[in-house]
Amino acid sequence: MNPETRQKIHEKYERELQRGERFWPDSIFKDAIMALAIFILLILLATFAGVHDSPKADPSDTSYVPRPEWYFLFLFKFLALYAQIPVLGKIEWIATALIPGLALGVLTVLPFVDKSPRRYYAKRALPLGIMGILVWGMLWLTILAEYPTVASDGSRVPGILQAIAGILLPLLAYTAFAVIAYTLKERAPRAILFTGLGAGALMAGFSLLSMALYPPSHKETVEHPTGLVDQIVAGQDLYSIHCLECHGEDGSITVIQGVPGLEGKVISPINSRDVLYTVNDASMAQIIAYGRPDSGMPPFGKAYNPEGLTRAEIDYIIAFMRYSWDDRYEKPEIKPLYPPLGAYEVPSYEVHIAPIVKRYCLSCHRPGKDSNDYFMDTYENILHSGDNGDRNVLAGDETSFLLQVIQGQPILNPDGSEEIGVMPPSGTLKPEVIEVFHRWVLMGMPRTAEEAARLTWPAP
Amino acid sequence: MRNAWQTLFAWLDERLGLHSLYQNLLDRPEPRGNWWNTLGSASLFLFLLQVATGIFLTVYYNPSPDHAYDSIQYIMNEVAFGWLIRGIHHWGASLMVLVVFIHMLRTFVTASYKYPRELTWLVGVGLLLLTLGMGFTGYLLPWHQMAYWATTVGTQIAGSVPFVGEFILKALRGGPDLSALTLQRFFAAHIWILPALMFALIGLHLYLVIKHGESHFPDKDD
Repeated sequence: MNPETRQKIHEKYERELQRGERFWPDSIFKDAIMALAIFILLILLATFAGVHDSPKADPSDTSYVPRPEWYFLFLFKFLALYAQIPVLGKIEWIATALIPGLALGVLTVLPFVDKSPRRYYAKRALPLGIMGILVWGMLWLTILAEYPTVASDGSRVPGILQAIAGILLPLLAYTAFAVIAYTLKERAPRAILFTGLGAGALMAGFSLLSMALYPPSHKETVEHPTGLVDQIVAGQDLYSIHCLECHGEDGSITVIQGVPGLEGKVISPINSRDVLYTVNDASMAQIIAYGRPDSGMPPFGKAYNPEGLTRAEIDYIIAFMRYSWDDRYEKPEIKPLYPPLGAYEVPSYEVHIAPIVKRYCLSCHRPGKDSNDYFMDTYENILHSGDNGDRNVLAGDETSFLLQVIQGQPILNPDGSEEIGVMPPSGTLKPEVIEVFHRWVLMGMPRTAEEAARLTWPAP
Repeated sequence: MRNAWQTLFAWLDERLGLHSLYQNLLDRPEPRGNWWNTLGSASLFLFLLQVATGIFLTVYYNPSPDHAYDSIQYIMNEVAFGWLIRGIHHWGASLMVLVVFIHMLRTFVTASYKYPRELTWLVGVGLLLLTLGMGFTGYLLPWHQMAYWATTVGTQIAGSVPFVGEFILKALRGGPDLSALTLQRFFAAHIWILPALMFALIGLHLYLVIKHGESHFPDKDD
């Protein structure tokens, strides 16, 4: 840059200062309003949007689908799309190191590459076009990160559409820009503008097409417990499924009964002070994760047992044990398992039966457990699964097997031997829980709360 | 008769040079600006807000795999207004990335990086990268599933660089896998190394902004 140009730039700036404003108070005033607006926005976000943490980190749970922070999502999607390009896609470092490195490199040395003194927008069509396409591409890649690269039926079409929008079109636009800038010279800005707008519209079009044809796969949002109460409840449910069989509902069992392979095993009660005062949380977590091979306890950690518990789940169980049995902990108030029934109220599967079954039955009656194939994990299974699928639960019928066995009536074979023993095998359900099952079956097993609300229990 | 305040001010001014500070820092002429010019100061405000809330968080946060998650649960559920401080820090981080990025775009669009402000741009790119670095290192600290696996993948990506990838991967993780060492060094980077660099670069950035003045919006003559 020659001294005259520099001189001109400084003179122009002096003139701008003459007809400008003062830093204090003019600029500071705007800055202060902006800062205040940001502060208020953050307080609103912190209060109403909050922070959503996922469960505690668990190195053994490799099934977890990682997601970066939103501002890295475009890179994440770019890598996923790049990886499907034939041949080139196998050379990972081109996309992970070379392309971002080049982009950052150009950005860094920009003032030393773009040395022309021209600043007016119309005279800078090329750099503005390049940056515009880049930012537009980043925006669409960020949006597309929510959408599948490979469709649920294995089709590669969404990935191809997205790659056209996010990789191919920008590349074509850049090539066109270069050719235009080199050949058209004076008339280039207008041509670059229209090429850029066209490419941008096509990028949006292909992205929207992919989004419309291949919506995001339905993700089940797994609610995970955050507060102490939620964690204790989650722990109690997990305990009921995984531990209750051997240790009993209150952890007091000393001789295991009715568990194949562990029949008659003598164990220490886990609700005793001896155990709770001498084993700290970390050791307790290890015992649950690794098991106690000498005492017959299998490992429950996910790393050693495919059906096992994550680190967070083990922590919930420990929280349940501490707050229920350890007298040094004060149990917070916990909502009942199901809302108590009114005099004329009919229970529903959703509101009453599902949580009860989860707490008291599912530890045995679930796939993978020996329970004569009677599973209680879904509404349909409760009604129809198992060897006695047609007799388990019959609408309005007192002789439904389910009702008989929970009321202490074993189902007998013709020769007098037991076909189905009383349930649960040890201990009995509380009368109010039995009443819930009773009303539910006699009133025709309503599934949803709405269905149940239309029915009335004829009180005695 | 001068009153006590004037006497005090005169005493301080003589020793601190308040008046010349006012003249040099505040009472400056500037080109006519608009709301786009507030993004730089907004970035600074967000940075200072992150520093303040971050300092509060370190009072309770514990950077170890055994306690990191629980210490944050404690901040969220037990500490008075802990949820607010954490919330502001969490959302402030996102907003800071956004604001810094838009600030960069504004500078690019108005070509403010050109003579004589090349170094201001260079320092600014450094600040943008450091902001992203803060986001990356801060994301791991809650030590939840998302953080753990996102960082596993993130460091893997850094490890795919030819020739030096292996070294970068081990330097970031402090070993072949994510471990207590990773958390410890991300913590160190997040609260000491990167902020120290940011303070230094922000100082330099501000000095350059004051030295050359804010650039004006270009018109047809530029």
